[in-house]
Amino acid sequence: MKGYTRYFGTKLAWFAVTFVVAFLLNFFLPRMMPGDPVAAIVARMAQGQSNASGVQAIYKQYTELFGTNKPMIEQFFIYVKNVFHGDFGFSFSQYPRTVSDVLKNSIWWTVCLQLPAIIVGFLIGNILGVLAAYLKGGYDKALMPISIFVSGLPAFGMAIILLVIFGVTFRLFPTSGGYGFDLIPNLSWGFVWSVIIHYQLPFWSIVLIAIGGWAIGMRSMSIYELNADYVKYSRFMGIKDWKIILYVFRNAMLPQITGLALAIGTMVGGALVAEIIFSYPGLGTTLLSAIKGQDYPMISAATLIITIMVLIANFALEILYGFIDPRIKAAQAD
Amino acid sequence: MKNTLQQVFHSGKFVIGFSIFMFIVLTVIIFPLFVKTPPLGIISQGSIQGSFLPPGIYVNVYDSIGVAPYTLLLDDATAKRIASKLSPDDRTAIKEWLLADGIPEDQIDTTDTKSLMNLWTSNYDPNKELTGMTFAKMRFYQRLNTSLQGILSTQDLTIAETGTVTGTLQAKGSVSQTDYVNVSEVPNVRLLALGTDSFGRDVTPELVSATGTSLLIGLVAGLIATSIGLVLGLAGGYIGGIVDDVVMFFTNIFTVIPSFVLLILISFSIGQEKRGPVVIAIVIGFTSWYWTARAVRAQVISLRNRDHVNLSKLSGHPIALIIFADILPYIASYVFMALILQISTAILAEASLSILGLGPKTTTTATLGQMMNWGLIYMAPTMGKWWAYLPVIVIIALISFSLNLMNTGLDQVYNPALRE
Amino acid sequence: MSEVMLEVKDLTTKYITRYNEDIYAVDHVSLKVEEGKTLGIAGESGCGKSTLALSLMGYYFAPLHYTSGEIIINGRDISGMDPDVVRKSILGTEISYIPQAAMNALNPTRKIIDFIEDVYHAHDEYKSKAEIYDLACECCSILGLPKEVLQKYPVELSGGMKQRTVIAVSVILFPKILIADEPSSALDVTSQKMVIKMLKDLMKDGFIKSMIFITHELPLLYNVTDDIMVMYAGQIVEKGTAKEAVFDPLHPYSKGLMGSIIVPEHGLRDIKLTAIPGVPPNLKNPPPGCRFLPRCKYTRAECEANVNLRNLEDGRAYRCILSERELRDAYRMEAEQNARK
Repeated sequence: MKGYTRYFGTKLAWFAVTFVVAFLLNFFLPRMMPGDPVAAIVARMAQGQSNASGVQAIYKQYTELFGTNKPMIEQFFIYVKNVFHGDFGFSFSQYPRTVSDVLKNSIWWTVCLQLPAIIVGFLIGNILGVLAAYLKGGYDKALMPISIFVSGLPAFGMAIILLVIFGVTFRLFPTSGGYGFDLIPNLSWGFVWSVIIHYQLPFWSIVLIAIGGWAIGMRSMSIYELNADYVKYSRFMGIKDWKIILYVFRNAMLPQITGLALAIGTMVGGALVAEIIFSYPGLGTTLLSAIKGQDYPMISAATLIITIMVLIANFALEILYGFIDPRIKAAQAD
Repeated sequence: MKNTLQQVFHSGKFVIGFSIFMFIVLTVIIFPLFVKTPPLGIISQGSIQGSFLPPGIYVNVYDSIGVAPYTLLLDDATAKRIASKLSPDDRTAIKEWLLADGIPEDQIDTTDTKSLMNLWTSNYDPNKELTGMTFAKMRFYQRLNTSLQGILSTQDLTIAETGTVTGTLQAKGSVSQTDYVNVSEVPNVRLLALGTDSFGRDVTPELVSATGTSLLIGLVAGLIATSIGLVLGLAGGYIGGIVDDVVMFFTNIFTVIPSFVLLILISFSIGQEKRGPVVIAIVIGFTSWYWTARAVRAQVISLRNRDHVNLSKLSGHPIALIIFADILPYIASYVFMALILQISTAILAEASLSILGLGPKTTTTATLGQMMNWGLIYMAPTMGKWWAYLPVIVIIALISFSLNLMNTGLDQVYNPALRE
Repeated sequence: MSEVMLEVKDLTTKYITRYNEDIYAVDHVSLKVEEGKTLGIAGESGCGKSTLALSLMGYYFAPLHYTSGEIIINGRDISGMDPDVVRKSILGTEISYIPQAAMNALNPTRKIIDFIEDVYHAHDEYKSKAEIYDLACECCSILGLPKEVLQKYPVELSGGMKQRTVIAVSVILFPKILIADEPSSALDVTSQKMVIKMLKDLMKDGFIKSMIFITHELPLLYNVTDDIMVMYAGQIVEKGTAKEAVFDPLHPYSKGLMGSIIVPEHGLRDIKLTAIPGVPPNLKNPPPGCRFLPRCKYTRAECEANVNLRNLEDGRAYRCILSERELRDAYRMEAEQNARK
C-alpha cells in the first residue's frame, strides 16, 4: 500500500494546482467585462426616484456592499476569504438572494441528473460496444451507423428531439421544470412521482448521446483486444466464450476509463445545455439566467462549482484506475 | 500520397460523409448566388397566427384579384370549400348543439353537409340557452354561426373600392366561385419553403447563411486548435525534457478544466459588442486544442525512437528537417483526422454558446446556434412551429454526422484491423 | 508396438478470406505419433505448420474451417465432434497447445493462479481454490518453476519465465499429446535451453505421452525429436526418423533445408551452405503439380502433373516422382561438383 501513497500524492498535488488555476480564471475573467453591473441594479432599485443625490447615495451603498469600488486585488482576497466561509456574495440578478442560496438547490438537481446519466450511458455504451465487436454480423452493422449518427448529435439536439417526440407530439412526458408547477417540494408520493416523470427526458437525452459515443470507441478497443494472443490461447485451453468476453471487456475498459476522465468535461458541458432545453432547475438554467442578468458573482460561482465537480470526478476516476489496473498495482508493489 | 488518396476514396464511409459535407458546403456557396434576398431581412409583421409563418407558397391576394381569371369547372371545388370551413370538430359541435336542442339523433348526419347545414340554419337560435351550456360555449356557437354564413351560397363576391371623389363604396368588379388565376401570372408570389422565424425572417436564406457562418467559424476554430495542438504536441513530444513538462502541464490544465466553462467565461467577459463570428472562432480555437496536443504528443513520442529518426539524427540533420521529413508524414493522417474532429467540435461549441446567449452578435450575422436560441426563446418547440428549429437541428446533425463518418472512414483506412 | 496416440488421416483445412476465397493451408496431411515419441514438424514460415497445429486440436473458429479428414486421438475420431464436447473433454485434457510467442498468451490483467482456476472450471472440474492451488504448486515444483509465480501478474515475469509458465498451464490437466509451436524461438539462448529441457523432462517423466514439436530452427530438431516431418506449401514433402531426415533427406526441398544448417558435427564441415532461390507459391491458386517445381533443380516434364506422397517402408515417405536412387545420385554428383570448386 505504500507505493500507492506516492501515486496518489502526485495526483493530489496536481489537482490542487489545477484547482488554483481554475479559481483564478473563474474570478478574474468575468470581472474583466466592461460595464458596471452595480449601475444596472441601482437603476432597477431607484426607479421612480428623481432625486439625483438620493440615487447617488443608493449607488454608493451598493458599491460598498458589493465591493466594486476597491482595487481588483483587494476584491480578490476578500473573495477568497469569503469563499472559505461558503459565502459567494450576493446575486446581482436575484438580489437580495445570495449566490450560495441560489446555487445550493441547483447543484443538487444537476448532480442527481448528470452523475447517474453519465455513468449509465458509459456502462451501457461500453457493453454494447463489446457485444458489437464480438457478435459481429447484423448486430454490428446495425449498431455502427446508428451510433455514429447519435454520437454526432449534440446533447441539446437529442434533447430537442426527445422533447418534440415525447413531450409535445405524444404528450407522454412534461417538457420543462424539475417537478410540476403546482407542487411544493415535499416527501409525498405525488411529488416524488412528479420528479421522476420530469427526470426522464433530460436523463435519456444525456444517456443516449453517451451510449453512442462510447459504443464506437469500445467497439474499436474490443476488436483490437479480440485479436490478441491471449484470447486465442484462452480459447484453446477450453475457456468458454462468455468468460473470454469478460476478459476482453475488462481489458478494453481500462483505457476507456481514462477516456472517461478526459471526456467528462465535455459531457458535463453538453448536459448543461440539455438542462437548459428542459428548463430543468439545475446549474444549466441558473447559469443561463445569470448570463442574461449580467450577474457575475453567480457566473463565477457556478463555473467554479462546475469546474470543481469535474475535477473531483477526474480525481475519483484516476484513483479508481490505480486500483483496478494490475499493471499499476504491480509497479507500485515494490 | 496518391495511393493513400485512392484508398481513402475507396472507403464507403468516407465517401458518403464527404459527399454529404460537400453538398452542404456547395449549397452554402451557390445558394446566395441565385437567391438574392438578404438573410436577415424581416419580411413579415405579426399576423393573425403570430409571428411564425408556416412554410408554404404565399400568393398576394390583391394582385390575384387584379389578374384576369380563368374559369375552371371542378366537381369537388364546392365540397373542398365547405370542408375547409367546417372541420370535423365543428361538425361534432353542431351535432352536439342539435342534440341538446332536442333533434333526434338519427336525423343528424355529420357527413352530409347539406342536410346538416339545413338542420342548423333552421334550428339555430343564437339566443336560445340550452341546458348545461356555459357562456363561453354560447359565444363559440355564435362565432361558428357567423363563419358559416353563406357557406352554401353560390353567389359571386363583389369587389368594391372607396371612391376617391365620392367617398362611397363603388363596385369595381366581381369574383365568381369558379374563377381561378394562374399563379405564374400573379406578380407577387413568394415561396417560403421553411416559413419564417419569430422575427418574421425568411428561414430558408437565413438557414443557408447561418450554416455558412457556422461552417466558417468551425473551420477557423478547427484550424487554430489543430495548429496549436500540433505545435505543442510536436514540441513536447520531440524535444522532451522541460519543454515537455511545460506542455503537459498546460495540456492537463486545459483538459481538466472543462473547455465549456472557459468558453463561457471568456465570451462573457469580452462583452456583447466585441463578439463577432471571427472572435468567437478564435476563442473556441484557443480553448479546445488540448485533445490534438495530447494525441500528437503521444504519436510523436512513439515515433521519436524509430530507426529512421535516429538515423537522421546521427546524420546531423537539423531538428526542423527531421520534424518535417521524418515525423510529419507519419502523423499527417492522424492530424487530418484530428482537424476534422476539431471542426466538428467547434461547430457544436459555437451552437452551445449561442444557445446560452453568448454567441456572436445577434444583429448582423446569424449562426446555427443563434437560430436555435431564437427558436427556444420564443418557445417554438412547444408551439409546434417545427420549421424554426427542426431544419437547424437536421443541418447540425448532418454536419456532425458527415464529419464523423469521414473520420470513421479514415480510421478504417489507417487501421486495417477495424475494417469489416 | 507402442500405442498410437494421434493418428491423422488426410486432413484438409482451409481459411476463408474476407473475399470468400478458400485457401487450403493444410492439404491432405496424414501423420502418426506413437506413445513416448516426439514428432518434429519443420518448414519455412507460411508452409502451414502452425495451421496444422491449430487444426489438430479439433476446435475451429473463423477464418479457419475444417474440410475433410480424420483426427484420431487415443482411438477417438474428433474431427466431427460437437465443439462444446471438444472444448470440455479434448482441449487441454487429451491434447494441449503451447502457442508461438507464448509471452503474450497470458491475459495481462489476470493472476496466473486465477487463470489456472478458470482453466479448471472450463473443464467442469469445480475443485476448491485450495485444491487448485495445491495442484498448481505441485505442477510448478515438477517443472522447476518457483511457486511465487502463481500469485503474480504476467507483467511481473520475464520472457523466459512467462514461456515456462505457459507450458505449465498447458500441461496442468495432464494432456496425452502436447503440441509445442515454436516454444523457444522468441527467447534468449539460456532460456531456450531451459524450455527445451523442461519439455524433454516432461516426456521423460511421462507427464505427457507424446509431443509434436514445430519449429523452423533445424538444429533443434535433431536434438529434440524422434521423427521429423517436413512441410512445404501446405503439403508434407518428407517423413522419416530424425536421423534419416537430417542426414539423408530425399526431397529436394528437405535437402536444401538441411543444407542450410551449420552444425559443427563430424562429416558435415565440408558441405557448403546453399540457399534455395525463389519463394513458396501463393496458396490461393495452388499449381496442380508439384508445388516446389519453380525452385527445384531436378525437374522433369511429369512434375507438372499431380505428385503424390510416396510411402516407403517404416514410415519413410517423400513427395517426388524421381526414385530414391535418382535423387541420391543427383545429390552425390552435386556434392562432388561443389567439393571440386
